[in-house]
Amino acid sequence: MPIPVTIADDSMLSRKTIRKALPPDWDIDLTEACNGKEALAAVAAGKADVLFLDLQMPELDGFDVLRELHDHHAKTVVIVISADIQPEAQKKVAMLGAFRFLQKPLHADQLHETLTELGLI
Amino acid sequence: MNTLLNEDQRDALQELMNISMGQAANALARLIDAQITLSIPKIVVVSASEFHAIFQSDNYWFTRQSFLGLVKGEVLTLMAKAGTETMGGLLDYPVPLNETSQDELLLELANILAGACLNVFSSQLDLNTKLSMPTIFSEQMRKAESYRWISTLLMEVEFQLEATAFDSRVVICLEGQSVNVLIDKLNQLLED
Repeated sequence: MPIPVTIADDSMLSRKTIRKALPPDWDIDLTEACNGKEALAAVAAGKADVLFLDLQMPELDGFDVLRELHDHHAKTVVIVISADIQPEAQKKVAMLGAFRFLQKPLHADQLHETLTELGLI
Repeated sequence: MNTLLNEDQRDALQELMNISMGQAANALARLIDAQITLSIPKIVVVSASEFHAIFQSDNYWFTRQSFLGLVKGEVLTLMAKAGTETMGGLLDYPVPLNETSQDELLLELANILAGACLNVFSSQLDLNTKLSMPTIFSEQMRKAESYRWISTLLMEVEFQLEATAFDSRVVICLEGQSVNVLIDKLNQLLED
């Protein structure tokens, strides 16, 4: 069974960068979301066992998405991929239950390492 | 402007600026142990006179530095006069600042913010830019004839410190010819 994975980022370039950095042989069912609302909709529809989440997004930002998932004890594994890499942002997302925090620009080997560490690949 | 970049190119440019700004803010945030509020990058084409108008504000201190490489241009760092003492204190300058220490503070901020912004931006597109040291704004720069271009592409990001008057902007200005190089690089990135 392919793993449902969602990429949530308002930037087309960023979604593409993440998509291209995914392990080519990873058996997934990929969904893309352009804002926080779409990300939560993907989770609700069972399309996000793994969620790659940007922080700065219109409608609902990444922090709001994390808060919502946290409040509902969602079992989604969230990996934040963010341009805002300040210590405060990293602390906040960790407290809100994100499993990992990756910096932009995203490097494929870092992503693979993270997925391996989390036992996802 | 609206015809210069298509939607994908604009998206890419904004995202590259977001990443650059994020690294710059992180560098400053770690130094002062506080969180910097980031803006949405502004990307506009301006005429020489509109560019010139930036310098007419009395609310900001300015520095200016130029860069060379596959693209050429200038980077301006603006800092709100009202927030100068706050930032000086956070960066361990003796306050109140005197003229010398204020200039030092301005140059240090330009090095941290503009330096990171341009370098991260440039490295993502392999533009191989070299940035000169910042210099403090002089009256000379108020004269429109000191600009070499007819129009320029401006990429502006803003850094603020919550609950203080600190506000700093970094403006990357590309010369006319360089805009074409930038667009080519963006296209490569998008087609890749």
